[in-house]
Amino acid sequence: MNLAEYLFMFLVFPGLLFSGAAGLVIGWVDRKVTAMLQWRVGPPWYQNFLDTAKLLLYKETLIPKGIARGYFLGMPLLALSAATLASTVLLSANGSTRAGFLGDVIVVVYLLMMPPIALMLGAFSSANTLATVGASREIKLMLSYELPFLLALSVPIVKSGYALKLGDIINYQAANGAVIGSPSGVLSFLAMIFCIQAKLGFVPFDMPEAETELMAGVYIEYSGKALGFFKLAKSIMIFALPVLIVTLYCGGVGSGGVVDIMKGALEYIAIVFIMILIKNTNPRVRIDHAMKFFWGPVAFLAALSCVLAVMGY
Amino acid sequence: MVGYNSLELLVGLPLLAGLFCLILSDRFKDLARIVSLLVSLAVFAGSVYLFINKPGPWQLGSNIMLASDNLSSFIALGISFFALTVSVYSLTYSTRSLGRYFGYILITLGAALGAAFSVNFIALLVFWGIVAAMLYLLVNIAGTEASAVAAKKAIIIVGGTDALLIFGVGLIWHITGSFNMGASRIGLSGLTAFSSYLVIAAAGLAKAGAMPFHSWVPEVAEHAPISVTAYLPASVDKLLGIYLLMRASLTIFKMSDIANLVLLIVGAITIVFAVLFALVQHDMKKLLGYHAVSQVGYMVLGIGTANPIGMAGALFHMLNNSIYKSCLFLSAGNVEHRSGETDLSKLGGLAKYMPITFAAFFVASLSISGIPPFNGFVSKWMLYQGVIASVGLGGKLKVLWLVAAMFGSALTVASFMKLIHAVFLGRPDGDFAHIKEAPFNMTMPVVVLASICIIFGIGAFVLPLPLLIAPAIGLGISYSGAWQPMPATLLILAGLVIGVGGYLLLKTAKFRQTDTFVGGWDPDKLGRVDGTEFYNTVTDIKMVGKAVKLEAGGGFDIYSISSSIIKAMSRPLRFLHNGILPTYMVWCLLGAIGIMFFIFLR
Repeated sequence: MNLAEYLFMFLVFPGLLFSGAAGLVIGWVDRKVTAMLQWRVGPPWYQNFLDTAKLLLYKETLIPKGIARGYFLGMPLLALSAATLASTVLLSANGSTRAGFLGDVIVVVYLLMMPPIALMLGAFSSANTLATVGASREIKLMLSYELPFLLALSVPIVKSGYALKLGDIINYQAANGAVIGSPSGVLSFLAMIFCIQAKLGFVPFDMPEAETELMAGVYIEYSGKALGFFKLAKSIMIFALPVLIVTLYCGGVGSGGVVDIMKGALEYIAIVFIMILIKNTNPRVRIDHAMKFFWGPVAFLAALSCVLAVMGY
Repeated sequence: MVGYNSLELLVGLPLLAGLFCLILSDRFKDLARIVSLLVSLAVFAGSVYLFINKPGPWQLGSNIMLASDNLSSFIALGISFFALTVSVYSLTYSTRSLGRYFGYILITLGAALGAAFSVNFIALLVFWGIVAAMLYLLVNIAGTEASAVAAKKAIIIVGGTDALLIFGVGLIWHITGSFNMGASRIGLSGLTAFSSYLVIAAAGLAKAGAMPFHSWVPEVAEHAPISVTAYLPASVDKLLGIYLLMRASLTIFKMSDIANLVLLIVGAITIVFAVLFALVQHDMKKLLGYHAVSQVGYMVLGIGTANPIGMAGALFHMLNNSIYKSCLFLSAGNVEHRSGETDLSKLGGLAKYMPITFAAFFVASLSISGIPPFNGFVSKWMLYQGVIASVGLGGKLKVLWLVAAMFGSALTVASFMKLIHAVFLGRPDGDFAHIKEAPFNMTMPVVVLASICIIFGIGAFVLPLPLLIAPAIGLGISYSGAWQPMPATLLILAGLVIGVGGYLLLKTAKFRQTDTFVGGWDPDKLGRVDGTEFYNTVTDIKMVGKAVKLEAGGGFDIYSISSSIIKAMSRPLRFLHNGILPTYMVWCLLGAIGIMFFIFLR
């Protein structure tokens, strides 16, 4: 592979342009479904595109006085780059014969950790008390969901004979049936949905932003282009994380035939709907409750699924 | 043989130079600095030469004492590099007895090299003991009460396990009848062989600072001069401890399933518990000290996997850890040097005033957290594959080790977020606006170390792995995962460049500076969050809270546990020692009668 090909994959398809656009559309689905659940009409499909363009092109970028500006403005870019790379790696493993493009599942896990880290560092560097409180919640939330997330994640790895490359996990499921078809797969899938919900900061785990008490918390000092980059990174995460679940539990889109892609898309939409439903039917929980929830029942569920997977169920 | 053996020179030169510095009058402070710098530079050049051209062994009489192979010359390269770094860093260090300080540093260098090259157990014991003694003297160089306590604790734990090492060597002599290391690999079937492995491993673990022998590391980190912490517990002791463990597992003994399982358990517990304790610390240096403990867990885990990729990962992680750990300690030293403060609740906002130090600290924190594309990620990624490839008794529980290692990594991220916030980003308690960047000789080492973190991360499969790690392991490494650091880094950089372009070129809207906004309140009146309390929620979880409380009270500390056991054992004896002469005479009489009975009535 030459450099131009890498750059094309990263910037156009399946990277920045495609994932970003897809993420904005998924964001619209979220808003539309939420509106319907609340008996409202909801925005048109291109609303999120307009919002992003407005931030990137027309809004002033305000910078707090007396802080390290480079880090404040750099962190949104880091978040965007890492999210795009994670999405690129994930998508290129789906529907392609290349088993290990750029990285394996461990690399993806670490890349997916980077946008929240960049967000925290950006919030810290704004030296705003409310942002700090938000970031401290974000980081505790990360601690909370990371334990069950890793336990749940090891189930597809164990099931596919300890394969680490995404392509191998997909190929295994193509030959032996999806991971979600087994008892351990179901339990692990359930735990995973909660973790993804928290990874995306969706209600009931939106305490880092907490509009009603912290006024967007981590984002409070961000505006204009910097905020636009963060929002775009988040859109890509909203698109990429359900893709991760489809890849690990439902066998991805296999070799990339039309039927495979349709099947993958349906599974993807089902997962997104589950997440939107959870989001709209629960109130925000407190951070210590979230931690007890994730280290307690969810971790137990994930650990149980792990044990079952090792025993071969 | 005509002339000198190069091994003998390499070990002897720093020892002699160190003795020279010790007897140097305090009036020639600069001479001690120059001698230390030149000697460590020469020794580093010598070890590079030695790594490329393997010299013959050095004999004492007919016994081969020192010899170099790929593993030991790799360790020696690391040791001499860190000695050079610390010598440069200490150029502006001042204490009452500078000659002693540099003397101890050089003697440590010589003895550590000697320990690495020893192929005879007696030579190993001698050099090993000198390094431990130098640790005591260096920690206590400032001579304060707290540093004396820390030094005592360190010497009792490290020296105590040295005694165990002597015992283990005795057992090996009992089995093989030779003091030659690696003459023949000893199977671990018998009780004698197994216990000799255990005590030698304990010596390695204590030197490296793994649990349950960890408690001296945070204590030393808190009270010793920071350059000493960066030099001994963070790099040289770590290299030596892991080297001994690796030597024991690779060439002295034939590992058994149970021995590997012990290592895996020690490794996993060390990773998770030490980092949990790190989360709740309030002092910058002590927090870093707990991370120095936690990282050892990864190396021990890697050796416990007993397969080439796990071992290579452990060795690479050892090297990486020494690099980013000393970078972290030294940049913390810069902060302490300029602000005179290590309490996290008082520091803050230094990123603006110490940009170089912060940049280095930032890179090193991402490395230790295992964030791609830095070096810590590559070695952890290799370790995870090693765990997955592990077989046997430990292999049955590999998911457990994998999750412990990866979760420990997430906890490390969290802990460093707190540190970066509290020291460099958040709002300070006092006014730090007068603070300047540290002097050149203190920023240069941290910049070099941080650059190595980046280079070893991106070029892992080009530079360190084929040149340093693979020869030292001597086994073929095969990867089950995939990671292409160069294109990945390139793409991230491309993203960053495009983003910067976006900031600069899309000039349709303005950039403006404003005050922070806290919902219409006065930001100064809202109070500040210093970040030390971030993780108190974690201790609300019952088990974690109990463990943290136990650690704070010394419950995991082998030093205080054993001292309380000894106190309990000596209580009846103390009762007998009441200081009254007639009582002692009665005891003597009773004893004499007893002996009489024994002799005559037998």
